[in-house]
Amino acid sequence: MEINIKHILLFKTDIRTEGDKRYIGKIMEEQQIDQWTVDLHDIDCVLRIVSPTLKEEEVIELVVKNGYQCEILT
Amino acid sequence: MRARDINKVELVKQKAIELLVEVGFEGFTMNKLAKVCGISVATLYIYYQDKDDLILKVGMEEVQRMSAIMLENFDPECSFAEGLRQQWKNRARCILENPVSAQMIEQLRSSTYQEKVFEAFGEVFREPLGKFTQNAIERGEIAPMPLESYWSVAFGPLYNLLRFHNEGKSLSGKPFVLTDEVLWSAFDMVLKGLKK
Repeated sequence: MEINIKHILLFKTDIRTEGDKRYIGKIMEEQQIDQWTVDLHDIDCVLRIVSPTLKEEEVIELVVKNGYQCEILT
Repeated sequence: MRARDINKVELVKQKAIELLVEVGFEGFTMNKLAKVCGISVATLYIYYQDKDDLILKVGMEEVQRMSAIMLENFDPECSFAEGLRQQWKNRARCILENPVSAQMIEQLRSSTYQEKVFEAFGEVFREPLGKFTQNAIERGEIAPMPLESYWSVAFGPLYNLLRFHNEGKSLSGKPFVLTDEVLWSAFDMVLKGLKK
């Protein structure tokens, strides 16, 4: 599967635990975001989203609205 | 769309293997890997979903690459002695030329990833080596026996010798370098033990 790099969005978050991840999972589902992962092992708790349509600001707003920190990963 | 940079991907793989062996699974982080590769963490996450995904992908690729080397010039139809000798030759060469990868695969084998590792090796080896031992049994060259017994005698000594060599030490810390003489005298005994 070739991934279009432009469709990959990366964020630094504080989604630290399995519980946090499950909670975010529900939100992702509601937004019909299919491909997303959170690297709980990583110090930046990187949220990785593959989406042809979503914009970074939209994701940040969504995550922050639900009580987590979220900024673009550089 | 920017095409994948093949060199970068290769570099990441190589450094990932080295880092894994150096710090282990717990110590391994995407951050550390990004640093030793001289790339941003973001770049890593473009190629891999997360730490587990990276370790698995890199690990599996190495398993497949080394398995292919181990099967070079191996003919399941040849005699037991010839075939086993070819296996020893191939595996020794592969592990001696790729000591870091070999160590990483050992680590994977005793980790939560072990099922995938066994599956991957099994996929490659089961048919040719299965046929090989079956042929030998049918020809009456070796007796049928449990797989584990066979494998432990056929390859255990080889892996032990390679481990001593990679660690530079043998029993009680004595310095050790694997020579052809040591290798093939062990092989001769293995062959003697297995042949009917």
